[in-house]
Amino acid sequence: MSLEPGGTFDERPRWPTGPPMGPATDTTPTGGLPTGQDGGLPEAAGRRLSGGAWSSGLSVNDFAACLELGMEPVGLVQGYTVMQWSWHFAGAASTMGGYGGGWWRTGSRGQYVEEWRCPHGFVGAEHRVFGVNYEQTWLEDSWATGWGSARDRMVEEAGALGAHGIIGVVDELRPLAGSSTVEFRVSGTAVVVPGAPRPDTPFTTYLAGQRLTKLLEAGFVPVSVAATMASVSMIGYCITAYQMAGTAAGNWSGGMSGGLGGVAPIAQVNRAHLAARHLARERVRRQLGTDLLHGVSLQQSEREIGEGDLTVECMLRGNRVRRFKDFEPLPEPTPVVRLG
Amino acid sequence: MSDPGATDDLGADLGADVGADTLGADPRTPAPTTPSHTARPSVHEGVPAEAGHRLAELEDRPGHKGMFTSDLSVNEFLLVKEVGFHPLGFVMGSSIYHLGIQTRRWSQSQELSKLTEAMYDARQLAMDRMDAEATELGADGVVGVRLDVNYYEWGSDTAEFIALGTAVKAEDGRSYRNKQGKPFTSDLSGQDFWVLMQTGHVPLGLVMGTCVYHIAHRGLGQTLRAAGRNVELPNFTQALYEARELAMTRMQDEANELEASGIVGVRLEEKSHMWGDHTIEFLSLGTAVAKVKSDHTIPPPRTIISLDG
Repeated sequence: MSLEPGGTFDERPRWPTGPPMGPATDTTPTGGLPTGQDGGLPEAAGRRLSGGAWSSGLSVNDFAACLELGMEPVGLVQGYTVMQWSWHFAGAASTMGGYGGGWWRTGSRGQYVEEWRCPHGFVGAEHRVFGVNYEQTWLEDSWATGWGSARDRMVEEAGALGAHGIIGVVDELRPLAGSSTVEFRVSGTAVVVPGAPRPDTPFTTYLAGQRLTKLLEAGFVPVSVAATMASVSMIGYCITAYQMAGTAAGNWSGGMSGGLGGVAPIAQVNRAHLAARHLARERVRRQLGTDLLHGVSLQQSEREIGEGDLTVECMLRGNRVRRFKDFEPLPEPTPVVRLG
Repeated sequence: MSDPGATDDLGADLGADVGADTLGADPRTPAPTTPSHTARPSVHEGVPAEAGHRLAELEDRPGHKGMFTSDLSVNEFLLVKEVGFHPLGFVMGSSIYHLGIQTRRWSQSQELSKLTEAMYDARQLAMDRMDAEATELGADGVVGVRLDVNYYEWGSDTAEFIALGTAVKAEDGRSYRNKQGKPFTSDLSGQDFWVLMQTGHVPLGLVMGTCVYHIAHRGLGQTLRAAGRNVELPNFTQALYEARELAMTRMQDEANELEASGIVGVRLEEKSHMWGDHTIEFLSLGTAVAKVKSDHTIPPPRTIISLDG
């Protein structure tokens, strides 16, 4: 493939028209649209997708790059899921008070649980003698249901348009009118590739424009967007609680911290972060099969749910891609001075 | 242009024309004691007299050398020139609109059609006035259109809708006006305009669709039944889904009227304005385009190393 200026049209990176585009198999839970009268797409969607002018959420540059790749936009597609939502088990921290009795062991096998015990012996009724980090599988499952359903609804719209795939996917999770309701939103631009065989399921990718062009240039086709969320709840034991409050010193620290006011890692919090990252990574890896993950973004956040108690969430997203040809070295780059 | 007085249940008839009358009056002449449509010797209904004067200054005519105003950046200006257009002048349209109150049922998700109409009409009025200014200049189109909504302390439930852009004219003498004989409008920047023309498409008009939706409050019973579980609320999903699809379908209907082949750069904005967080306006906006050539002339991609930074 030549990228020299003046190269003929056929030498530019193009969407491969051969058979390598496999079906985008996926292991995340699926959910159809909430049942309307006919259980299908919302009525307005049916009318919007039935014909007339296409719409595209791509910027003009991405639109031009999409035409350049031999793709034509056929419509902006979207999917939504509204859910009642809580980020932690209501009352977990306050009612258990650190004196747990194994109630968190309700998840599946292989669930992450790590326990901490107070080294001090009996101190008082308020003393946190017991701490635990545990994976909130119920939260991860509901996240997968929400995100997966929104994604599936978007793909369903693309299917109704006869699209080959969806590019420039954008997703977000936003609180909705009140604190206990959230909405998962996934949207993208459905495209057809004239002349190419249609895959069973439209491919999906967060990429568009020059980044998608570069992906093809590097010899990969997009298969699907991959996203997962791992959540770990941490109920702190005495030492963690003191360290988080900044009062760990002398005997109370159990020799684990750097002493008064010093900067020291808080072991239990660290372990919770580490576990969330590990869980997210392993889960995405299991979805991949023989494919690769490209352009990964990882967001880690922490919520304090009470004094000494936290939840840690790790969100990992990327583009599942599959190699269709060998990489050819890029032509020599041209130096450019921009005039602002 | 529809009657703005039909927008609310309160009977307040502070329509779009009020703002135009007040703002449009020439400060050097005594203001008319009653608002009157005949008091405006304007280029178009709703466009103030001052606009006629300002626009006349921009035009070339015997004994007067015109000049142009524009909010294009230097790069945008060069690219608009490169693609064969000349900027004529900065044009605008405004409409001050009284948004009435529509009764809504606390526990029911529904479209508030009167508010939908009001939000749509108000923007359309502002756009029409901008169009009228552009027409006055003999423009083929308006690029870089921005639609803003402002609220002022002096008017509760009142909003000012403004459309701003730079009128342009083709240098080759061809007409780029759309099917309705109006200058095309587009929210594309100068750069985007250039790229779009290279792909063999021309802009036809800024198209929009809107839907104001009330989201039901959840009763205590409903909340308790689902307490402690993260579950889908299908009625809510369906309601919001429907609202967005309606806004987008309306946008698409506008594009179909212009006989567009597609809409680029669609964005979906969601705002609660002054209604509280259970009432949301879904506004879908994009530039309708038509394909005029099947070949396109985007230069082949090249790997570059930038020497700045």
